[in-house]
Amino acid sequence: MKDIFVLAEHRRGELREISMEMLTGAAKLGGTVIAVLLGKDVDEFAEKLAGFADKVLYINDDMFENYNSEAYQKALSALIKEHGPGLVMVGNTAQGVDMAPALAVELEAPMVTDITALEMDGDKPKPTRQYYGGKLDAHMAMKDADLYILTIREATFPAEEPSKSGEVVKVDNPVSEEITYRKFLEYVEPEIGDVDITQSTLLVGVGRGIREDKNLPVAEELAEALGADLAASRAVVDAGWLPSDRQVGISGKTVKPKLYLAIGISGAFQHVTGMKGAEVIVAINKDPDAPIFGIADYGIVDDLFKVVPKLVEKIQELKG
Amino acid sequence: MCAEEVGFVEKYDLLGCIQCGRCTGGCPVAMRTPLNVRTFMYFTQNEERLEELSENPDIWDCTTCFTCAARCPKGLEPLEVLIGLRSLQIEEGKIQPTVRDALESIFKDGNPWGSPRAKRMDWAEGLDVKILEPEAEETTDILLFICCTDAYDTRVQKVAQALIKVLNAAGVDYGLIGDDESCCGAEVRRMGEEGLFEMCDEENVELFNSYNVNRIVTVSPHCYNSFKKEYHELKHPIFHYTELVAELLEDGKLELEKEITKVVTYHDPCYLGKQNDIYDEPRYIITRIPGIDFREFDRCRERSLCCEGGGGKMWVESESTEERLAEARVMDAKEMGAEIIAVSCPFCLLTLEDATKVKGIDEEMRVIDILELLAEAL
Amino acid sequence: MNMVVCVKRVPDTAESEVHIDGSGKDIDKSRLSFGINECDNYAVEEAIQIKEKLEGNVTVISLGGKDSDEVIRMALAKGGDDAIRLEDDAFAGSDAFAIAKALAATVKDLEYDIVFTGALTDDDGFTAVGVTLAELLGVPHATYVKDVEVLEDGKKAKVGRELEGGLMEYLEIELPCVLGIQTGINEPRYASFKGIKQAAKKEIVLKSAADLGLDASDVGEAGSWAAMEQFTPPVVGEMAEIFEGEPEETAAKLGDVLKEKGLV
Repeated sequence: MKDIFVLAEHRRGELREISMEMLTGAAKLGGTVIAVLLGKDVDEFAEKLAGFADKVLYINDDMFENYNSEAYQKALSALIKEHGPGLVMVGNTAQGVDMAPALAVELEAPMVTDITALEMDGDKPKPTRQYYGGKLDAHMAMKDADLYILTIREATFPAEEPSKSGEVVKVDNPVSEEITYRKFLEYVEPEIGDVDITQSTLLVGVGRGIREDKNLPVAEELAEALGADLAASRAVVDAGWLPSDRQVGISGKTVKPKLYLAIGISGAFQHVTGMKGAEVIVAINKDPDAPIFGIADYGIVDDLFKVVPKLVEKIQELKG
Repeated sequence: MCAEEVGFVEKYDLLGCIQCGRCTGGCPVAMRTPLNVRTFMYFTQNEERLEELSENPDIWDCTTCFTCAARCPKGLEPLEVLIGLRSLQIEEGKIQPTVRDALESIFKDGNPWGSPRAKRMDWAEGLDVKILEPEAEETTDILLFICCTDAYDTRVQKVAQALIKVLNAAGVDYGLIGDDESCCGAEVRRMGEEGLFEMCDEENVELFNSYNVNRIVTVSPHCYNSFKKEYHELKHPIFHYTELVAELLEDGKLELEKEITKVVTYHDPCYLGKQNDIYDEPRYIITRIPGIDFREFDRCRERSLCCEGGGGKMWVESESTEERLAEARVMDAKEMGAEIIAVSCPFCLLTLEDATKVKGIDEEMRVIDILELLAEAL
Repeated sequence: MNMVVCVKRVPDTAESEVHIDGSGKDIDKSRLSFGINECDNYAVEEAIQIKEKLEGNVTVISLGGKDSDEVIRMALAKGGDDAIRLEDDAFAGSDAFAIAKALAATVKDLEYDIVFTGALTDDDGFTAVGVTLAELLGVPHATYVKDVEVLEDGKKAKVGRELEGGLMEYLEIELPCVLGIQTGINEPRYASFKGIKQAAKKEIVLKSAADLGLDASDVGEAGSWAAMEQFTPPVVGEMAEIFEGEPEETAAKLGDVLKEKGLV
């Protein structure tokens, strides 16, 4: 089997978990796994990645101090042409999707995004991805080619303990020209309001099922009865019913409370990713097919407006 | 579709207004908001001010209860001027997101609640109902039009279910439209979306006329009013369920076996009462139930106090923080010793019930539809 | 400012049940409602807002059948100036690459400063059309965009990308460029029924694959990176323990479990 390139992802001094997840997954496929790391002063990251890869190729250069998809694309393109892997894995992240499709076009490499499962047919990937917000799995047949690119969804491959001792190779930046047409300016943190939900022990998550902000009191009552804080799905925040610092999910917070009680949340991946680490997950949703029931520990398939008030009563009763 | 744009002055006969102030004087929301419909009657005469006036949030406080029009000595309809101003905002696309969402939902799914059309009949699961076929050979006596709120709102679904129970008990020959039932558009027009209302009118008339029925009965007074007075070329006569049920009781088709020994009052909905003069039938139904101690609100019949559910209020928040009319109404009911407020409109049901919760009297005061009361007595 | 917005008509599956049809390669759409892709709706609004601020022209493009005209007209009613619809049986089975090729073939002949697409779609969720399109056109791009500010000279834009955790990454990008718009960037306006009917008077230029200079190998499955072979219901991990009964009962059971676990 041909070599596999895995693009490591890091941001603001942290190596992101997706990197180790992809390396772990790649290691099971059979080919030599090569981690590719672009950054400035990332020697430590390179050492860490060596625990998960057969080889680490990394570049230290000012150009990669902050993420720039155009710079990444140029560097990766050069490295790929030089080393000739058969498969390139990139995280299906804000960084990854900003670059991978362009790379695929440039290198004429078939690409499938947001993979949730992967089998190999020799050197050819047979990926699975989801459609309709996670309601269906889709099995994809890729075109024949010498090089394939896949963007991998977070948590598709569980990261394991480091078990390799890959060769760490520092290489020169193959990109000689400065990139003027896209420049990194700055990061801006989201504002934190009165509650930092990443610190909450108990959370009630509110989704589209709440229908309108007029109905928020239903959720607020439940939160109050439990002594929990309110969290929200993206839809609720986009609609302005709760502030953005309450948003749980890929573009919001990742929370690990003791209890996450999701009401009216379908469980689309983007949200689940932010709360699946909760110890106990409970879901109340009218739709029996809602993906949330797949990750919840307990569920009630019913109208939240009927169940939640009863639940509030029961909790008040139990609390005495 | 190329009618000349008629100016406000001509369309609403603004020059006929004598600025007597009877409209604002009777306006229920004037009690709690700055809305002064009389000033709008005056200032809208100046076409150049229309844009500015349409941006005034007060125009969204109007519930379209019709009191102003009922009281106007010149037979004008001030509420229509406010609706006209809303139209200007609609055409600009500058409306509250909640209004936008309701209208888009009606266009896409035939209901203002953002729910999929495919779930419109979920409320009837397990119930014995007939779905009508268009162009059927056999005549069905009644086409029953359910209403989006009864179909999707979990509280109001109980009213539709009670209606089915009552009709089945009386052996009525009726049928429903099913998933193809779409919003009557009453509130669409009142929120100013004339174009979308015309679509509701055209499509519903074509659908209703294709059924082989003798008459159409609605659950909501809003649907009733639009079908009866605003739709074009409907073949069949329109009735409200209170008319039908009163008829069933008179004809002895319903056996009321159980007693309900409660003090009950009745809240006249604006769209059934002052707009369509249906006052006696609901009272007849309530007083036929054994055990009922019926008491009237002081402000009853034509003077009934609007619950603030209509005129788009289900989707538009008022800026005013003064006590809502519905809250005053339920406290009036409590003061007269009522245990039950009977209603015959889904919006009244929701706003009055919410008010009992806000006032903390929901344990001792029930707000229920006449049908629910009746179903309990069967 | 000349702008292009790419829009797609998609089924609304957020609250509906999704059933695989007989072929296994599609879903039963008979009871679904359709509308504009959510991200695209925000993209249209963004383009129109920029047009209102800086003056310019907005061209709406959609790849789809006649039903897509509804979505195009809504965008025109909101302030779009002209429209192109790409229709061809040969487009069936296209993935992001094939779709982007058709869009690129259309856009390359237009004058444009910014091409807007939605960051991803509600149906297939490829999250790739925008970036692929940019590469095909040879212009810079950014996706997951939640903030756009065109800079003074109209030659650059300051763009905010929304990263994991809500962190915003700001960058400066040269025009012309392609931006993939994320939901929540603005508050989309309403397009009135009358407005949409008025917009129906505007011609929607139709183009086929041949009109775009695309041959069979560029379009449909043949032109895609991958073909969708088969849908299956998602494999769920251990399913949740579902409580049955009336709300009072299920709430009580849940309450007891929570108490047992020391959460109440």
